[in-house]
Amino acid sequence: MAAPLHGLMAEFADHEALSRAVEATRAAGYGRLDVYAPFPMRDLARSLGFHPRILPWIALLAGAFGAALQYGSQYWMNAVDYPLNVGGRPLHAWPAFLPATIIVAILWAGGATLIGTLLILRLPRLHHPVFAAEGFERASQDRFFLVVRADDPLFDAAATARFLAALAPRRVQEVSA
Amino acid sequence: MSGEAGTAPAARRIADAPLSPRFGPLWRLSLGLSGLLILTLAVTLGASWLRGVGVWGVNIPFVWGFDLINYAWWIGVANGASLFAAILVLRRHDLRTAVNRFAEGAALMAVLCAAMFPIIHLGRPWLFYWTFPYPATFQVWPQFRSTLTWDFWAISTHAVITSLLWYVGLIPDLATLRDRARSLRAARVYGILALGWRFSLRQWAYHQVAYRTAAILVLPLILVMQSTVAFEFASTLVPGWHDTRLPLQFVASGLTQGLATVLLVAAILRRSLELGFVIDEEDMDLLGKLVLASGLVAGYLFLDEILAAFLAEPVRREAMLNRWTGPYAGYAAAAALLAVLVPQLLWKRSLRTGLLVPVLAGIGVNAGVWCDRFSLLIGGLQKDYLPSMWRSYTPTLVETGLLAGTIGLFAALLLLFARFLPVVSMFEARHDEHMEQA
Repeated sequence: MAAPLHGLMAEFADHEALSRAVEATRAAGYGRLDVYAPFPMRDLARSLGFHPRILPWIALLAGAFGAALQYGSQYWMNAVDYPLNVGGRPLHAWPAFLPATIIVAILWAGGATLIGTLLILRLPRLHHPVFAAEGFERASQDRFFLVVRADDPLFDAAATARFLAALAPRRVQEVSA
Repeated sequence: MSGEAGTAPAARRIADAPLSPRFGPLWRLSLGLSGLLILTLAVTLGASWLRGVGVWGVNIPFVWGFDLINYAWWIGVANGASLFAAILVLRRHDLRTAVNRFAEGAALMAVLCAAMFPIIHLGRPWLFYWTFPYPATFQVWPQFRSTLTWDFWAISTHAVITSLLWYVGLIPDLATLRDRARSLRAARVYGILALGWRFSLRQWAYHQVAYRTAAILVLPLILVMQSTVAFEFASTLVPGWHDTRLPLQFVASGLTQGLATVLLVAAILRRSLELGFVIDEEDMDLLGKLVLASGLVAGYLFLDEILAAFLAEPVRREAMLNRWTGPYAGYAAAAALLAVLVPQLLWKRSLRTGLLVPVLAGIGVNAGVWCDRFSLLIGGLQKDYLPSMWRSYTPTLVETGLLAGTIGLFAALLLLFARFLPVVSMFEARHDEHMEQA
């Protein structure tokens, strides 16, 4: 084996074949798998242990922070730092402060959702070893891919390739790192 | 490729549109026409900036005139369309495959058109950033008890969240375009926009939650947004405006308007881009029914306004009667006619699924809601408490040009969107197809 490997990639033609292959691979004890599909497969993602429950919490916390910041700054600017008497109306006019508070909370929550997702997924990352694999551009159209990564403790280039070939994929190929 | 194309033809045909080197004379003609309107926008904007707002027909008491009519109108389109898109995402409704993407796109473009008006109506638009709380040299902070600062936050947030929903949904499809692009330059542009999306299930899992979170955020935003616009009127002492039911009327007629715009765009897209296989008759049927139903709700609210005014104090009743019988009564009547009666054409299924009636209903409802905003903003101000101030308002050519110009801008942005990006979600279409095959 000359070049260091990223892993071994098996290609499938439909999502059911992929699901079966993922199940068999996990049953064989492999843990470091990457699965690629042209559309979201919720059940398979769930069985692989991807529960992105953290995202709504990020949104909620960021929203709460944005709301506090907006309300606090309105209060401080208009009631403390620059109090302006407009026809005797109260300086701390909370009903007038609310629309912007709610809206800015949503702004923070939305921004945090996008930035949080990108940070967790480590995007943007324009290059990745799998892009060099032959035929991988069909992952964006109609093909399904299973990659057993080389850093898996059970990984052995020859044995894993034999195992993957037994799952009846369209082909198995090495992906160099 | 042709032998294997059978596995995902729908998504493939959707992607063919943005990737094709030519787009036909009709598209270029439409873009040219909207380009002319954008030119009108540039000229009228220039006139308003260089000569000042004196080129408009506004004067006390009509200080807002066309600006706020157009603002409220565009916000209605944006809100209705993105509320609809967000609900479809959250309900995982089948209709979302067909209409979500361009509904989100239309919403974003309408926000951009809406955002111009509050800025130019400032009179000195280049100082618009004074509404932002930054440490100014005068050591003066913005006045947050003024509704003007609500506008600043509302519009900027609306633009950010609407583009977020649109862009997050678009990322996987941009990656498909990257992989299918015929030129290196196109592949690079789509590739950078796709952020290196790899279609891994982990990415999909986070993507789906992020998309739904963005959709959830749209819901309160839309209600607050349209209510904020309405509160800007309701918080004044003008008899025709000082009313807590105003936000309800704005939200409801805005939804009708947004749905009608989605119907209009859907009818045009499925004909011009031959997208009948994803935006099918069932989708048009459902959309038509929604426009019809929301048109009836708008009609109910028009009636409610009249009845509620008869129960209110005399000055409120006078204001309503003046709106319906005074010098601007034509607009009130046109609003009811166009926004409520034109959608009644949609009762028949064969008409809903055609081209002519959806287009007519789409234009009719939008024109009707515009007349309603005119009637409310101008007709509602015409007789204030002081008889010495009873005047009339006539818009000038410049104001009409601004309205026409933003319509051109909206059309041009939609045309460019249809040219360079997939107007229907490809990954949803792909998903539907694979599930059907299974």
